[in-house]
Amino acid sequence: FTASLLLGTTLTISSNHWIMAWAGLEINTLAILPMISKSHHPRAIEAATKYFLTQATASALLLFSSMINAWQTGQWDITQLTNPTSCLILTSAIAMKLGLVPFHFWFPEVLQGTPLTTGLLLSTLMKFPPITLLYMTSPSLNPTVLTSMAILSTALGGWMGLNQTQIRKILAFSSISHLGWMTIIISYNPKLTLLNFYLYALMTTATFLTLHSTKASKLSTLMTTWTKAPALNAALLLTLLSLAGLPPLTGFLPKWLIIQELTKQDMA
Amino acid sequence: MDLSLVLNTFTLLTLTTLSTPIIFPLLSDSLKNTPSTITNTVKASFLISLIPMTIHIHSGSESLITLWEWKFIMTFKIPISLKLDFYSLTFLPIALFVSWSILQFATWYMASDPHATKFFTYLLLFLIAMLTLIVANNLFVLFIGWEGVGVMSFLLISWWHGRAEANTAALQAILYNRVGDVGLILCLAWLAYTTNTWEIQQLNSPHQTPTLPLLGLILAATGKSAQFGLHPWLPAAMEGPTPVSALLHSSTMVVAGIFLLIRTHPLLSSNQTAMTTCLCLGALSTLFAATCALTQNDIKKIIAFSTSSQLGLMMVTIGLNLPQLAFLHISTHAFFKAMLFLCSGSIIHNLNGEQDIRKMGGLQKMLPTTTSCLTIGNLALMGTPFLAGFYSKDQIIECLNTSYLNSWALILTLLATSFTAVYTIRMTVLVQTGFTRIPPLTPMNENNPAITSPITRLALGSIMAGLLITSYITPTKTPPMTMPLSIKITALVITILGIIIALELSKLTQTLILTKQTPLYNFSTSLGYFNLLTHRLTTKTLLTGGQNIASHLVDLSWYKLLGPEGLANLQLTTTKTITTLHSGLIKAYLSSFALSLLIILMSAH
Repeated sequence: FTASLLLGTTLTISSNHWIMAWAGLEINTLAILPMISKSHHPRAIEAATKYFLTQATASALLLFSSMINAWQTGQWDITQLTNPTSCLILTSAIAMKLGLVPFHFWFPEVLQGTPLTTGLLLSTLMKFPPITLLYMTSPSLNPTVLTSMAILSTALGGWMGLNQTQIRKILAFSSISHLGWMTIIISYNPKLTLLNFYLYALMTTATFLTLHSTKASKLSTLMTTWTKAPALNAALLLTLLSLAGLPPLTGFLPKWLIIQELTKQDMA
Repeated sequence: MDLSLVLNTFTLLTLTTLSTPIIFPLLSDSLKNTPSTITNTVKASFLISLIPMTIHIHSGSESLITLWEWKFIMTFKIPISLKLDFYSLTFLPIALFVSWSILQFATWYMASDPHATKFFTYLLLFLIAMLTLIVANNLFVLFIGWEGVGVMSFLLISWWHGRAEANTAALQAILYNRVGDVGLILCLAWLAYTTNTWEIQQLNSPHQTPTLPLLGLILAATGKSAQFGLHPWLPAAMEGPTPVSALLHSSTMVVAGIFLLIRTHPLLSSNQTAMTTCLCLGALSTLFAATCALTQNDIKKIIAFSTSSQLGLMMVTIGLNLPQLAFLHISTHAFFKAMLFLCSGSIIHNLNGEQDIRKMGGLQKMLPTTTSCLTIGNLALMGTPFLAGFYSKDQIIECLNTSYLNSWALILTLLATSFTAVYTIRMTVLVQTGFTRIPPLTPMNENNPAITSPITRLALGSIMAGLLITSYITPTKTPPMTMPLSIKITALVITILGIIIALELSKLTQTLILTKQTPLYNFSTSLGYFNLLTHRLTTKTLLTGGQNIASHLVDLSWYKLLGPEGLANLQLTTTKTITTLHSGLIKAYLSSFALSLLIILMSAH
């Protein structure tokens, strides 16, 4: 299943025809579904179902948008997405795939239902193709829509994360808010989006793997991890702070650059 | 012979002689002070200071000595300079004479005190601070002296610090003085800001000075000279030993406020509001103090209130635009007030600590020197013709009568003058005449020259000083020469009226009728309810206000509502609302997706 995942991702990334991109995304979805529902726990099944439904909708919308564009402009090139309607539909499709507000409702529950490693894959690897598509089509996307979705994501991710006790849900919301940061800068400086994504992927990988090794899934479990592996716990502390974006740590870098870019664009 | 050089040299010599008892013990262990050495130092200082005064009277030479310039800020110079003009050169010998007599008296009064030398050192420090204030040309140096006398007053009033009332009284003195200091600092700040100098000889305003700094000055004088409003500390300051009361609270410190007003007179004279304030404040103070003195039973308190009343009279003189006359009254008042205090001190010690005049009587036969000097002092206080008080007091009342100013102030002052006569005669009658009411076995004698010579010296001063000063000094403003007969003898008539009333009232003590508690009597006895009203109310309000601010405002509202907790609470409401939105139902989610998609498509077209 991992192989098919990798296949799907590579396919999407390296394509410049919409059908290929769509196919890659479908392969990804299908491949990850059994991984989510590996444990046959009802919650996992529920998560898989939710995931499938949302992702299917998103892929359909993607196809739809590329077809409208093809109908209007007569070509299937990814970077040449010029029709406004199809841009909008594409934006919402990718938002659904990524988990941006208002299309984010599936994300926390799906992440909650998956084992930690699969959750990691969900957060990082599965985000990669959609972000690539966004990157490739960024010049023609509507900034207003993107900005509003991004701001809502950041805010909502923060607020929701406050009231959680399950670590995976917290991580889901942190992912949502990071995605917000990534999206806000994409119309102005897409490279920063990529930077943000890479750093985020790094930090989340670290967090997920730490949590996986200590088998902590709730906050209450997290309290007692220090007895199992004290050094790891300290490392987790630093990583979490970095995720939060505290200045001397790496997580601050993308935030700083994004804000700088936004001020140049007269927005912050 | 260069007269100005002699003038300067001898003044500086005076001041240095005074500071020797402070410096010498620090230099060597064998040069310790004793009360008698300090007394002799002050006597020597006095004799030296007579020379500059004579030079001034002879040739009218004044001088300005600049010692050092404190270059703290480059654009604002603070030269430490001494101004030796009429006021300072005349007051210097007077202050030193009075201090010498008091110190000599104190060698007897404080003989049984274990820390007598420290007491004398404190008195000397006070004297130095006072003289700094007098000769200062720069308001900054004056302020140093001002604060110095305040601090020394605090230390001296609480000399018997085991006594709770003494400590309270000292605190009162400091607090009330501090409130006055605010006014002085306000004026200093204004001067530095507008005229860029603190020198007294540069204090000239051709046009009107704004009222605010002048009110600050008047506030300072109110605090220091115990005018109405900041007055309770003066009667309370009688907790200190009698030499302290004699030196500080009769002749020198309390006139510091009036002296400040005399020095800054060029600023004050142009502003009518300030003048009227002085006038009315002074009139009010003098009447209030005289009223309170009517029913006091403690001999020192009676004299304290009479000081307060005379200070009010000095303030009235300032308000009449007659600084020189006020200074004259300061000088003459110093003599007889100090003498009154010394006499009362002698009486108190001889009666083994008794201060209540209802328990004294018939002392004329037992303490002849003391009581005769007491009588002289009282007559001088009342303004008996040709004693010292007459020259200043009578002239003040004449000027008040013939001026076209406030008649309310005039009436109050005249009333106060008659009250002065009343309580003075009351005190004299109860203390000196009649049957004696003291405990039988009280040994008393006044054979010690340490008692008799200061008192007689001051008595001589009380008689001669008025004559001497007025003969030798030409007044800067011509006193009113012509006035109707009734105006001329007003002061005299009122005083005699007061005497008659007092003699009538004093007969009550021999008839043994219990005095009824009428409201008027209560007003006078409880010092006009002022202490009762203000001391509790103001302090309680301020302290509870402070506590409210600290606990309610800072702790409860800022930290809880607006600060950290408030922010947290804000997030909490939003979080709760949003959590309920995430229900977990996929149908709801998908429908919300569809809705959002529609909205996006709609909004973009």
